[in-house]
Amino acid sequence: MSIIVTDLTVRYGEKIVLNDISLEIESKRWTCLVGPNGAGKTTFLKALLGMAPYAGSIQDKGVEVFKSHKRNVAFVPQHPQIPQGMTVAEYVMLGRSKRDGWGNESLASRSFVHKVLTQTHLFGMQSNLVSQLSGGEMQRALIARALAQEPELILLDEPTSALDLHHQISVLNNIELLKEEGVTIISTMHDITLAAMFAERIVVMKEGKVLLSGVSQEVIHSPELKRAFDNRIDVYTLDSGRPVIVASKEKHL
Amino acid sequence: MITEHGAIAKIWNWRITVFATLILLAVAIAAVSFGPISINFFKVFKTLFDLPGGSTGQDRTVIMELRLPRVVLGILVGSALATSGAVYQTVFHNPLADPYLLGAASGAGLGATIALTSTNHNLYGALPIFAFMGGVLAVFTSFIISGKFFADPNSLLLSGIAVGSFATAIQTYLQQRHSASLRPVYSWILGDLTSASWSVVAWSSVYIAIALIILFSVAKQLDGLMLSDEEAYSLGINPKRLRIIAVAAATLATATAVSASGLIGFVGIVVPHLVRGLTHRVTNRSLITIAMAGAAFLVLADLGARTLLSPAELPIGVITAFVGAPFFLVVLRNRRKVTQ
Repeated sequence: MSIIVTDLTVRYGEKIVLNDISLEIESKRWTCLVGPNGAGKTTFLKALLGMAPYAGSIQDKGVEVFKSHKRNVAFVPQHPQIPQGMTVAEYVMLGRSKRDGWGNESLASRSFVHKVLTQTHLFGMQSNLVSQLSGGEMQRALIARALAQEPELILLDEPTSALDLHHQISVLNNIELLKEEGVTIISTMHDITLAAMFAERIVVMKEGKVLLSGVSQEVIHSPELKRAFDNRIDVYTLDSGRPVIVASKEKHL
Repeated sequence: MITEHGAIAKIWNWRITVFATLILLAVAIAAVSFGPISINFFKVFKTLFDLPGGSTGQDRTVIMELRLPRVVLGILVGSALATSGAVYQTVFHNPLADPYLLGAASGAGLGATIALTSTNHNLYGALPIFAFMGGVLAVFTSFIISGKFFADPNSLLLSGIAVGSFATAIQTYLQQRHSASLRPVYSWILGDLTSASWSVVAWSSVYIAIALIILFSVAKQLDGLMLSDEEAYSLGINPKRLRIIAVAAATLATATAVSASGLIGFVGIVVPHLVRGLTHRVTNRSLITIAMAGAAFLVLADLGARTLLSPAELPIGVITAFVGAPFFLVVLRNRRKVTQ
């Protein structure tokens, strides 16, 4: 199963946010969208979710994704609305709503949430309020809720933004749990080095268009990646063979 | 949260709902028993269920024609206001939201003032209809002005405030032009259940029952509205449609409650927080419990209103605020201790 994006265009009024994108996203792989601010990465995720009206098509087996996946697409937002007074267990349990029906709490689901909380190292914190979690814990709670959904496809919008390096790796390891479950992962990320470390495929976007998509190691060494960032990034390769992408030092200030 | 057999504990325990229902029953029977004329608790019970040994004559009339409709109206209005308040707080992500937020109170106030200041005295009897129409029209206007078909709850909230202010301005103008109406309007604003009769109970129960059935049927999904729209959508609900259904039903319940009993404040804010504070659960599965608690709270407040200064009556709004505010503060303080 692959997701086939054909001539995808999204407009907000006169503004074209996604411009005629055609792309193939492999199933059961981690695909990461990278690009500067305003490239249309988040809008792409919203279109996949069915929350941004679009022209063109995003199809899986000939059916629009947001229709065919309506019951099993998980979404992890960059800025979640944090419900006041809700505990971690309640928050993660929301992920079971589509499987069990809203508000039903089968023993199987409560066992599943127990497992997910353990996987994401949140067990022991299940009675804590989500409003009192740290940034890294909140991100893990979001991923735990997504795991609880048992999704076929998960969309993650900047899952590591505003986290320190330790928590970034911890969260990305948690996302890898989903990949082990056979979930198709599509994420956006600002940190291209981390994207290359974890995602198998990278899509480079700029101003609503896809400049390049392909296997991570090939994409990060391509000139299109530098072009997307107006040649303001440098790509280095460590002795271990791992690439590191950093912002170039500004020459004219 | 204790785990059982490698599973997390249940989030909502329905025994709490049963407990709230039992409290409501006890409060209701007490409210029918006590008053300027006290009637034996068991006699009241037998009279209500038409069992041998029940009251006859004047006592029966007091029970069946005066106190019982008042208690039933209290149950209807209390459950309507408490449930609507809880729903508004979820929909608007605002713990201070109350059922009068979208201009329902100001609109109903304007409708009532038009009826009370009219030179046509026939309109006075139609006060509930005017209040109902005023409340519904104000909320409907807020919807229209906010635009985008409720895409943004905040814009609806702001337009509700604007519409409410506008309706209050017209109401004040009308009162100034008809100073004789100041007292009845003020009395109506404080709210009371003295107008309770079986006919008021009959028409208000229809609208409140419809509204509550709708709200209880979507109660579980309302938890999804505590998240962002994208998250809610990915969990399988249509947040815009659910918000419209929830606000429309809550407005119907509020407008009916206001037209039957005037503006009774504090119930819509205090009761949902009381239930959530005491159970340490914010889930909207508690909506039925909140309705039961709202009903019990208002029936108890009305009992206080008509017995504390007997034979005179206090406005029920004074009791709800006087009792509700300190109790509310204690619960808030305890909740903060728990969450710290």
